[in-house]
Amino acid sequence: MREVVSIAKARGIQADLFVRKVWEKSIEYEAGVFRGYVAREHTGCGLRVIRSDRRLGFYAFTLPCAPSEAVEQALEVSAFGDAVDFTIPSYPSTTEWKDFVDPRLEGLSVREMVEIGEYLVGQLKATHPGVLTNVRIAAGREERELFNHHEEEIRFARTFFEISIEATRVKDDDILTVYVERSWGNRDIDVDDLLKEVKLRLDLSERMVSVQSGQYPVLFTPSGCMVLLYPLLYGLNGRNIAFGKSPLQDKLGKVLFSSLFSLVEVPQEPWALGSCPFDDEGILTPEERVLVESGKVEDGFWDLWSAARTGRKTTASGFRRSPWDMPEPGFSVLKIKNGLRDRETLVEELEEGLVVDSLLGLGQSNIASGFFSCGVQLGFYVKGGEIQGRVKNVMISGNAYEALKNIRELSRDCRWVQGSILAPYILVEPIQVNAAS
Amino acid sequence: MRETLRDLARRPQNGEYLEIRLEHTVTTSIRIHNATVERLKVTEERGGSLRILHPKTGWWFASFQGWDDLEEHVAFGLRSVVLLPQSGTGVIRGEGTEEEIRFSPREDFRGKPLGEKVQLLFAYARMLREASPFVVSAVVEYRDEWRTVYFANSDGSVIFWEKPDISLSFVATARKGDQIEVYRDGVAGKAGFELVRGLEELAHRVGKQAEALLFARPFPGGVYDVVLDPVLAGVFIHEAFGHLSEADFLSRNERLQKLMVLGKPIASPVLSVFDDGSLENLRGSSPYDDEGTRTQRTYLIREGYLSGRLHSRETAFLLGESPTGNARTISYRFPPIVRMTNTGIEPGTVSPQDLFADIERGVYAVEYVGGNTALELFTFSPAYGYLIEGGKIGEMVKDIVLSGNLFQTLGKIDAVANDFRWTEVGWCGKGEQMGLPTPTGSPHVRLREVLVGGQRHA
Repeated sequence: MREVVSIAKARGIQADLFVRKVWEKSIEYEAGVFRGYVAREHTGCGLRVIRSDRRLGFYAFTLPCAPSEAVEQALEVSAFGDAVDFTIPSYPSTTEWKDFVDPRLEGLSVREMVEIGEYLVGQLKATHPGVLTNVRIAAGREERELFNHHEEEIRFARTFFEISIEATRVKDDDILTVYVERSWGNRDIDVDDLLKEVKLRLDLSERMVSVQSGQYPVLFTPSGCMVLLYPLLYGLNGRNIAFGKSPLQDKLGKVLFSSLFSLVEVPQEPWALGSCPFDDEGILTPEERVLVESGKVEDGFWDLWSAARTGRKTTASGFRRSPWDMPEPGFSVLKIKNGLRDRETLVEELEEGLVVDSLLGLGQSNIASGFFSCGVQLGFYVKGGEIQGRVKNVMISGNAYEALKNIRELSRDCRWVQGSILAPYILVEPIQVNAAS
Repeated sequence: MRETLRDLARRPQNGEYLEIRLEHTVTTSIRIHNATVERLKVTEERGGSLRILHPKTGWWFASFQGWDDLEEHVAFGLRSVVLLPQSGTGVIRGEGTEEEIRFSPREDFRGKPLGEKVQLLFAYARMLREASPFVVSAVVEYRDEWRTVYFANSDGSVIFWEKPDISLSFVATARKGDQIEVYRDGVAGKAGFELVRGLEELAHRVGKQAEALLFARPFPGGVYDVVLDPVLAGVFIHEAFGHLSEADFLSRNERLQKLMVLGKPIASPVLSVFDDGSLENLRGSSPYDDEGTRTQRTYLIREGYLSGRLHSRETAFLLGESPTGNARTISYRFPPIVRMTNTGIEPGTVSPQDLFADIERGVYAVEYVGGNTALELFTFSPAYGYLIEGGKIGEMVKDIVLSGNLFQTLGKIDAVANDFRWTEVGWCGKGEQMGLPTPTGSPHVRLREVLVGGQRHA
């Protein structure tokens, strides 16, 4: 692969080549029965070139591909590319970072995966016989390599492990689906904790209760609070700021949210799924970076392109959705600062309100302005400090930026969402609730 | 290649069902953002997959890159599949067929110089930007993809496909102070470069609509009578009913099967819904699905009665029904799963104007932002809407998200107009497989008492 960038160098062109190798194996259970095994092994390569007249070209390919052809293709594209204001960076010479590779995952056998699957299915069958369980268990390894025209190269590897349970209960004409997942970089996913969470949701959903339309305090669970986080991440995206599409573009440094709300990026968090020693442009990541401090917006996400566009520095936030995509501003690992009291206490003190765990139609509203309006897929009605039962055919609406102002409290207990966002329970008041009946 | 595949597909000796799929895909993506080429890339991918079902165990699927080690992949797969646990599943076997499905677009995009493509898009971006002084961001996004697929299975089928896909979308972001509105529209098709020419008016309109949204009032939440335009009605039927008719949701769930028993009245008698992958040249069309089953027209609802569902070979086996040609995959990286193809609501007899007449206070919901479903519950959002007051269409409104429940909402459709049309730009994500083209078609449709989200309650 080195040859590709050497050819570019010989022709006086700046270049970086990003290579991502992934293997993954997974098994699936459908309605409690083993269904099948899936294995994938893929390598993707993305070649970025910048000509002496600053024009940018990009060509992505799978192997085998002749190095000279890859360079030719990228150059052909660059004839029409944007003139960019950044240069391909040099890579750090240090390689002191650790790979986050768990040998227990590299060697995980199908038999072991089946054992986990059988256990999860069996446990749920024993306690909730009417419930049908789908399970997916996946494990794999990912390696990222970068080569540049300075003939430097860096690489790191990590493993990943994902377990998800989708439990479905059909009663008369009511279909309840509970979905819980855990993703992590090593083998240490607590399957009993996962089971506990599924069972708790099933049990709390036994009773259906109705709720009147109106304004209520809402306690968002860690997965539920993504509805507040996504618009904020859109607003902090350097590319959106560079194009004037972010409501936060002239608000960096200002206090916009509740003083209880703080958000940090922790790119080197051990075993979290997004963690990485460098971003996909070869920039070393910091240990911790403050995005929002006590309601004050401190910084956004900048890749080389958007940083150059706005006269800033990259924040090591250039990530690629796949080797086929060019880098764009994104996040590695995020933490929302937690509060002082447990979620149970927050519920106990709730006179009347909702607990919202999962929503339908995230991103279907106007994510740019922060407006959201979502169907509650799994939510509970609280009265007198106690969960009364599940609500259905209910929507919640509001503006994420307003809601972040109206945070009343955050819980002490936190949970990882998709292995890359550590979030507490967040109590917001008021939120508009609309009910069908 | 065909000879090799024919030979490999004959390897199973113990009643295994085996499929091989090889793909070569070349894609050009261009994204013009204001006066900048924000993204310009060409990608080329060569990969394959192998799927085997052993009669006594389960599915074994492997996806790989390069086409060199097919022999080894097949040998390893056949050795490995025996070792899997029992799954109690099976497939309906089919008749073998040998076919070559080629496509000759009028203006082949593979032969177009990159410069010509970029130039056209720049011109559109200018029009989009100049449509309104409020437009801060004008994005023109172009994508063409030429996919060739070799497919073979142990029923003796060997199929060669050419699958072109081309799309162009305009996204305008308008801004006034802190208020930001986004509007998008575009075209997509199984076609050549001719599809993306002559779209000046559309570009202008997208810019104008983004501006108009800035001045539209947010719609208050509540329960309303709603008229859906053909675009949104298509998304509605896809979300509200299409997904639950995909048989993999219920093939192992007896209670769900009872709830969705064929012949059951499920909607009002004005509603008939179909899925049809055999139509000519829509983006969801193909003579065969990705398991080599012939595609067909399947009625899901006929005059309000549940009349059919969408099947792969496996779900048909599990439910004792017949495959419908609905097993689709987005690429060699994933096994085929049950998906919609082109899904539509059959036209009725009344004119669209008649639908508004007796609505005292409601909303006319137009075009779409998106939709989502979790079995019986679903949400879908129009791009914008108009108030309906006293049977008349009034001012423009925004921030509308509609939600419903399968078992209640379908019964509340009380009128279907006669102005059917297809919308090709839609795509669908299911499980890990995002971005599958799934056109929807419908006339105007009226729904009574729909829950609409909104910041205030009416």
